[in-house]
Amino acid sequence: MRWVEAILDELSEATSWGYRPGAPPATEPAAMGALALAGHGRHEAAQRACRWLVSLQADDGALGISAAEAAPHWPTGLAVLAWKTIGGAAEYETAIAKALAWLLAVRGETSPRSDEVGHDTTAIGWPWVEGTHAWVEPTAFNLLALKATGHAAHPRARWGAGLLVDRLLTSGGCNYGNTVVLGQALRAHVEPTGLALAALAGEGDPTGKIARSIEYLDKTLDRSTTAASLAYGLMGLAAHGRVSIAAGEWLASAAERTRRRGASPHRLALLALAALGTDCPILLGTNR
Amino acid sequence: MNEPLTVQTPSTIGQEAVDAAPRTLWLDRRAFLVGGGLVAAGLLARPLARSLFGGGAAVFIARHQRYDGALEQTIRAGLLATGLDPAELRDRKVLLKPNLVEPTRLAPHMTTHPAMILAAAEVFRGWGATVVVGEAPGHVRDTEMALAESGLGEALDSANLDFADLNYEETAWVANRGRASKLAGFHLPRSIVEADLVVSMPKLKTHHWVGLTVSMKNLYGILPGVKYGWPKNVLHHAGIPQTVFDINASLPKRVAIVDGIVAMEGDGPIMGSPKPLGLVVIGTNPTAVDATCARIMGLDPARVGYLQLANYRLGPISDRAIVQRGERWQETASPFTILNRPHLQELRLDSGGILTS
Repeated sequence: MRWVEAILDELSEATSWGYRPGAPPATEPAAMGALALAGHGRHEAAQRACRWLVSLQADDGALGISAAEAAPHWPTGLAVLAWKTIGGAAEYETAIAKALAWLLAVRGETSPRSDEVGHDTTAIGWPWVEGTHAWVEPTAFNLLALKATGHAAHPRARWGAGLLVDRLLTSGGCNYGNTVVLGQALRAHVEPTGLALAALAGEGDPTGKIARSIEYLDKTLDRSTTAASLAYGLMGLAAHGRVSIAAGEWLASAAERTRRRGASPHRLALLALAALGTDCPILLGTNR
Repeated sequence: MNEPLTVQTPSTIGQEAVDAAPRTLWLDRRAFLVGGGLVAAGLLARPLARSLFGGGAAVFIARHQRYDGALEQTIRAGLLATGLDPAELRDRKVLLKPNLVEPTRLAPHMTTHPAMILAAAEVFRGWGATVVVGEAPGHVRDTEMALAESGLGEALDSANLDFADLNYEETAWVANRGRASKLAGFHLPRSIVEADLVVSMPKLKTHHWVGLTVSMKNLYGILPGVKYGWPKNVLHHAGIPQTVFDINASLPKRVAIVDGIVAMEGDGPIMGSPKPLGLVVIGTNPTAVDATCARIMGLDPARVGYLQLANYRLGPISDRAIVQRGERWQETASPFTILNRPHLQELRLDSGGILTS
């Protein structure tokens, strides 16, 4: 796939680890870039991104959102995924151990259950920012990190999986993490649904919400789906063994649109990752 | 323009986790732009804010407006009628901030209509300003999706307008000048810091927690998700009314252009129903604009938490203190349906409380 090769060539440069072309490198795009490079066998370039991530790690194990902004620390689990994927070096094992210690010490704020919101506000997951409530995407990132490092059975992983299932809408799919507010069910969105499904690979679900979420993505994804949503949507489906025969064409189309609209390195990395299908390293350690 | 600004130690867990600011900041915008440092952005705009606005708190209301109508003419008239001096905008940077909180084609009445944004852009461009549209969608990380679903992306392309994805920009730390919440300051995206004028362009909507969301609440959407989360839960934990007030108090360079052509009533700001009104509401004092919008919606601004905080400090909410231009609000008022919850029903103008206007 020529479009993937072009992305990988660009991701090999540190200038391509930002959210926008020319923007300063940031933790999330660098981690996604490293995962895409490693997944496609570009180990040397992936090592550069992984080493840069190590350089961001604070003594307590956490990583901020960029070199310039040492907080908040929600991308820490993404760095764990990148380091675990590249593997092999002692420096990464040390970094992973420190990051996991931090990750296991952080949890979202809980509150007594209320009839104002539909989800279980006592469930334990991860917040975007310490001191706030747990939400779908950071919980999914960190659950994937725990699974990738062999901690799928850890209580925090089990609680995280439980939180994600709880935050799926009854009709399937999820949004950022609210299900029902003041009696009104909310709408699903593709990106968080795909990410949640990726993290929930291999999980049992007697409620049927995971199955309905897969159906939601199956019905929703198409050629016009925007880049990040498409990438996570396909990753979520791949985590459950679903690979669309049209996925390659959709991804190529999204890559072309992304280039026309500013060529975000972060989005391009996500597209290259999704092109790996069931071999996507995001899914490392999930029981597919 | 360098002066030291001592920053107080953040006092909440969430704020500590967001903050990575040094304890002393130097006020030099160019230093931020060149060196990636930090700056107290709002302070830089004070001289412009003084010269831009003719004083007073005038609010302009236009009715019988349509998205395919002469919106550019309406917006120009409204800004002039409420005291904006176009001469001060030549070669200045103007950022238009629509509401794209969670766009979906299923609910176009949730987000600011692209026609409003294009019309405003042409007005400011006509006055010699450089215009950029910026937003940090509050509930979705995929900003490209937000632009596609709202129709704004296509509109911006057609008008050759740049978009700033405020969720992912580098930030500058500014002190909280409101101090109603415990947050010591805010991390503002580069495009907000660079702007000489921020134009809040909300959709007129009910809000199921605070009653209504108009130009002041819309500015939640200038804060980047990478620092505050999706949703911006740091702000929720610090108090919605308090942080709405604080953000506005920390940004002196604001005007408001409200899309009330098709508004949202009921379970806003996401799941409400369309409310065709045909209104555009404009003003150089967002507090006065929001208070007027509350009255149009049948809500008492004196009972809305963030307007209570803003009253006298950021602008007037009393009807007597607001100069009306264009249509009178009494002639455009059309009470919005709101959820049958005590914290919302008590906001109604007709709920038996004493009206302050």
